[in-house]
Amino acid sequence: MHESFRNLTRRHFFGKSALGLGTVAMSNLMARDRTGGLSGVPHFAPKAKRVIYLFQSGGPSQMELFDYKPNLVKYANQDLPESVRNGQRLTGMSASQANFPIVASRFGFKQHGASGAWIGDLLPHTAKIADDIAIVRSVHTDAINHDPAVTFLLTGAQIAGRPSLGSWLSYGLGAETEDLPAFVVMISPGAGVGGQPLYDRLWGSGFLPSKFQGVKFRSVGDPVLYLSDPKGMSRGDRRSYLDTLNELNAEQLKDFGDPEIATRIAQYEMAFRMQASVPELTDLSKESESTFALYGEDARKPGTFAANALLARRLVERGVRSIQLFHRDWDHHGGLQKGLPKRCLEVDQASAALVTDLKQRGLLDETLVVWGGEFGRTVYCQGRLTAEDYGRDHHPRCFSVWMAGGGIKGGTVWGETDDYGYNIVKDPVHIHDLQATILHTLGIDHTRLTYKSQGRNFRLTDVHGSVVKGLLS
Amino acid sequence: MKLLLLLSPFLLSGAELSFNRDIRPILADQCFQCHGPDPNNRKAGLRLDIEKDAKLALKNGHIGLVAGKPEQSGVFQRVTHSSKGLRMPPAYAGREALSAKDVEKLKLWIEQGAVYEAHWAFIPPVGRPGGSIDGFVRAKLQQEGLKPSAPASRNELLRRLSFDLTGLPPTITELNNFQNDHSPTAYDKQVDRLLALPRYAERMTWRWLEAARFADTNGYQSDGVRDMYRWRDWVIDAFATNKPFDKFTVEQLAGDLLPNATLEQKMATAFHRNHRTTAEGGIVPEEFRTEYVADRAETTSTVFLGLTMGCARCHDHKYDPITQRDFYSMFAYFNNIPEKGLVYNFGNDEPLIKAPTREQAKQLAELDAKLALAQKAVDRARPRWNREQSRWKMQGDWMPSEGLAYQNKLAGADSIFDGKRIVTEKGGTVVYNYLSPFTFSAWAKPAENTGAILSIAEDYAEGNGHGLYLMNGKVRLNIIFRWTDIGIRIETEESFKLDQWQHIVATYDGSRYAKGVRIYIDGREQRLKVLFDELNYPMNFKHPLQIGAGNGMNFRGAIEDVRMYTRALNQDEVIALGDRAPLSPGSRTEKLRLAFLDSIKPPEIAAERVARAQRDEYLATLPTLMVMQEGPKHQAHILKRGAYDAPGDAVDPATPSALPASPVGTRADRLGLAQWLVSKQNPLLARVTVNRYWQMMFGIGIVKTVDDFGSQGEAPIHQDLLDWLAVDFVDHGWDVKHLIKTIVTSDTYRQSSRLNAELLNRDPQNRLMARAPRYRLAPEMIRDNALAVSGLLVEKTGGPSVKPYQPAGLWQELAGGGGYAQDHGESLYRRSLYTFWKRTIAPPSMVNFDSPSRESCTVRESRTNTPLQALNLMNDVTFLEAARKLAERVMREGGSTADTRLNYAFRLVLSRTPSLKELALLRGAYDRDAALFAGQPTEASKLLDQGESPMPRKISRPELAAWTQVASILLNLDETITRQ
Repeated sequence: MHESFRNLTRRHFFGKSALGLGTVAMSNLMARDRTGGLSGVPHFAPKAKRVIYLFQSGGPSQMELFDYKPNLVKYANQDLPESVRNGQRLTGMSASQANFPIVASRFGFKQHGASGAWIGDLLPHTAKIADDIAIVRSVHTDAINHDPAVTFLLTGAQIAGRPSLGSWLSYGLGAETEDLPAFVVMISPGAGVGGQPLYDRLWGSGFLPSKFQGVKFRSVGDPVLYLSDPKGMSRGDRRSYLDTLNELNAEQLKDFGDPEIATRIAQYEMAFRMQASVPELTDLSKESESTFALYGEDARKPGTFAANALLARRLVERGVRSIQLFHRDWDHHGGLQKGLPKRCLEVDQASAALVTDLKQRGLLDETLVVWGGEFGRTVYCQGRLTAEDYGRDHHPRCFSVWMAGGGIKGGTVWGETDDYGYNIVKDPVHIHDLQATILHTLGIDHTRLTYKSQGRNFRLTDVHGSVVKGLLS
Repeated sequence: MKLLLLLSPFLLSGAELSFNRDIRPILADQCFQCHGPDPNNRKAGLRLDIEKDAKLALKNGHIGLVAGKPEQSGVFQRVTHSSKGLRMPPAYAGREALSAKDVEKLKLWIEQGAVYEAHWAFIPPVGRPGGSIDGFVRAKLQQEGLKPSAPASRNELLRRLSFDLTGLPPTITELNNFQNDHSPTAYDKQVDRLLALPRYAERMTWRWLEAARFADTNGYQSDGVRDMYRWRDWVIDAFATNKPFDKFTVEQLAGDLLPNATLEQKMATAFHRNHRTTAEGGIVPEEFRTEYVADRAETTSTVFLGLTMGCARCHDHKYDPITQRDFYSMFAYFNNIPEKGLVYNFGNDEPLIKAPTREQAKQLAELDAKLALAQKAVDRARPRWNREQSRWKMQGDWMPSEGLAYQNKLAGADSIFDGKRIVTEKGGTVVYNYLSPFTFSAWAKPAENTGAILSIAEDYAEGNGHGLYLMNGKVRLNIIFRWTDIGIRIETEESFKLDQWQHIVATYDGSRYAKGVRIYIDGREQRLKVLFDELNYPMNFKHPLQIGAGNGMNFRGAIEDVRMYTRALNQDEVIALGDRAPLSPGSRTEKLRLAFLDSIKPPEIAAERVARAQRDEYLATLPTLMVMQEGPKHQAHILKRGAYDAPGDAVDPATPSALPASPVGTRADRLGLAQWLVSKQNPLLARVTVNRYWQMMFGIGIVKTVDDFGSQGEAPIHQDLLDWLAVDFVDHGWDVKHLIKTIVTSDTYRQSSRLNAELLNRDPQNRLMARAPRYRLAPEMIRDNALAVSGLLVEKTGGPSVKPYQPAGLWQELAGGGGYAQDHGESLYRRSLYTFWKRTIAPPSMVNFDSPSRESCTVRESRTNTPLQALNLMNDVTFLEAARKLAERVMREGGSTADTRLNYAFRLVLSRTPSLKELALLRGAYDRDAALFAGQPTEASKLLDQGESPMPRKISRPELAAWTQVASILLNLDETITRQ
């Protein structure tokens, strides 16, 4: 069936090119390795070909996970000194709180790997890949509330309307597969109360053409919206249907000579291929037992973070450029003592497994993996401090993110915060720096990937950002 | 120089060099970033966007431009410099050298005197007399050596016109009527017919909703629901009645400020309450209020000026002469709205008005009249009751009892609280939500100036819940969802007395606002101090009722007769409640009157209560609209880096300085702005507007950058045409229908859209219009078309949004909660204009086909072509059900043979008859599927199980299934979803 379509289109495109459509069609059909993208991009030889962002929505607490502060035990229950807070603005949630009692992590920390990185005991699997990852303890952001902070991290601006990281990559680098979208998004809710909502704009294309937007792979219903043919229709029926449709469209192409019709035919064929490739992708039945052992039993349950992490690897194998996972429910204003271990349990093993798995398959070198949330959490307790429970408010001044794989120097610990884990004292990494660094690993000069909209050249990093060289391999 | 000119391949012989067309784009692209309006980025003190400055000697002695002398002009020296280090634009910034062509243009221009022109769009348009669309277009085509295309066929033309004017396809009858009308005005009649349909107003409204960022939800974070459909109704009505565009503009920006503003004029101002708002806990409200005001300023400039002022928010605009001061001067017009930064997430927030339909307003007036009548009856009866009351034999006690939910007398020793004792009631108490009215009442004799009288709250400082307290000598009412940011805290201005019995009462009317709280001491209403007024989140706490405790406090002294009511008592009732003695002639008069009336229960009062309840209940069901109002002046400032907390100089409302100013004496408020926008002083509004309508009819503007008429925007491909249309539009009283008719009756519009190799190569984007454009239908039209041709479409103009089919679970997977509650019945088949629009998760089949998200103002059209669109059309229940209904229709109405039916179906969907080849292809598909399903009746039934519309009982399922497949193919054709 495939061949007949190819022949059909070839005939139309190349045989009867009286309309001069040959070149248009040629670029569509012949580029097997890459479709779309800008000429001259990548700007230089990339280390990574693709990126997996394991986004932890809500703001995981760096105080318990990556930023070890042994002295906090001494300061416990004391008020955070004004000299440390230093006029820092607070969210409306703790701004009128009477005092700010310091609370140390109630979970242990140990050093791991050759690098001796401190990692919280809640992340035992991550600890095992300590030498593969670079922990950045000095990321900071401009926003202090979820919506603007997530939007800022993933689109470079706090206000809606800019393209997301993945759509910039699709726009600049194009796709390496024609059977799957170039930018895939997967969401896992977290087993708690559900956490902060997410928004389509986080994988939207902003002012870029909408074909660059991320495509959500879902764990319920069709993995991709409208993917399944109606009941009562076989794959062969769909093929015959498309043959008729294509021929009718080809008649119209002859009459009107509009190259958009040729593109439409090609898009229907890609849809047909996706109908086969997506179910093949999401079918985990051929994965080995050792894979499930690596990712954990959760990976058998569609919609979990672990299942999504495994799918991320499969997407990488199939040439998908950008893969964005969202795990929700890290927003521990209160209930941290019980809630945080649960979230860690949900993501720790699979996050580490993904890195290990990619490494074993020789894919880690060309795949960038990033793990982290939109901001950190305060050293002081929000709400009631009791023996059983505590909470932490949003903290934009410092938080921790780890990166691994393509172009990243594993076993790095980057940046340092003060004794309270409140301010950065060494090597700050602003969100725009993080974005610039991600683009750099993909061979993109962040100042040169731009798009003109409303009279201005926009880019992911606005007019800021510099590549953090110390993280690069 | 002569020689050079001859060698210039790009300059047509004899063509004049135009600064705006030829030179400004080079300067803007290559130079203004460092030598433009932004003083912070200016290098070497050289400014090239102002002629005078560009010709001044710089500190270093150089001169940017020396008229007539390129070789002495710094600009020319540097763009042609042989040293890479000195060449402009600079190599170190990654910039390439100018092309030889641009260098040559600059050289010629300097030789000719380096004369500037004002930016074209800032000079008022002048319409060339005797102009016409076809005249301008043909003149340009002739210059380019191109010829216009042949006219489109009548079928093609009517289909094109119907989609462009109404968003829906023509019917076969309409096509036949047009075919058979041989009068010279046949086409004009079709235009007039379509312009008169409500469908026309709906079609025009869609685009305006995108510009106005209209949606049914707030758009940030948890994205709560709002209800602005009455504004959409207003827009539909405005287009239907062809409201002149100047009035349309003034009413939406400042209808509330017009003298004797009508309800409709106030409703119009909802335009600027359509922006996104946030209810995210923990925000700094002022940060987001600033965002709302900035959105209004940006939207106003995009829609009505075609300028992108947003870039000037943080600093002076790099390219356009729009300064940061200009931005905040525009901002200042919209800064005085009495609104909150943290909004209510469960409906419309203040300022708002009731926005009844005419029908509803009539019914409300009737209920008001009934109530007035009932009140009159009460007033008439009062003297009689007074007489009867004087003869009344009072006995026993009387207290307000209606709504009494709890009482504890705490008499005698029980009244003593020693600072430790707590009376706790578990169960049986009322759970108060944030919209529950209540009255808390107690007698108290406090021994200390701080203590808790009663609470249904967490018992520690800053805990949540309701409570009546004494704090630092004042009576305090707290209604707390979260101490720090959600709740009401309010206290008396005057102090209570220590060691004396006082009757303390707090009432709350359930309105969510501190203004709905009253506190009484001994029956005297107290002046109140609002400490916190942000009660906007549902509460459902199950705390026990405690007397003598709450929020970490206790009570020392005595408390008696604690009462709670589930309604807010009025002052007379509070006074009565404060009179504890048995009824006697010496009782408070308020108490005597209430007690007497309660004893005789007059029918007049009962009738008045019924009438009031009916009126109030009806009033509560009426739709509201968030609208603009002028509150107290809120001084605007230039915000450094655009940050809400970094105010610089104070600024007052003013129109952009680069544009001709308002006439002297114009008001410096929204109405003044609106009047300036529609005045002859403003060179932009008419141009920007006709350009947007041109885009609606041709898919692309005469100025392609419909949202940017600044120097970074595209210069018009036909400025004469644009200006002529703009002047004609204004001369005809801003008549939108006249404008549209002018466009669609042109020969240019009526050409065929067929391409040939020459046209494709010479003008791939069709800017010269040697043919009609051909492009994919807008997303709403794709769905509406399927509903229309299948006969499912339910045409009903206006009203609340509806929730048609949507894949299950879309809302939950992102936001949790109850998810999308799909409607049933006719709501499934209304035009897409009425589809519920959740901003953070927009309707997928609209977004798939490139709908803007409605998060911010969008006026530019965008079209892509993706596999997701293919899947959407093939497999979305909307289109599958439409295919089934189309199949039924074809079997019912299309004659008895396969070929007559195919012909009929083809005409329904494509407004033309199929070619023999097309017919054969479809026939092949039908025959194949008919045979297939005849052998697989179960599969046929499965295939037909799409959508909620019923299926005729007596129909052959296999046959219907085969026709459904054919119908689906037809709905998926490129031609079907294309306006050609």
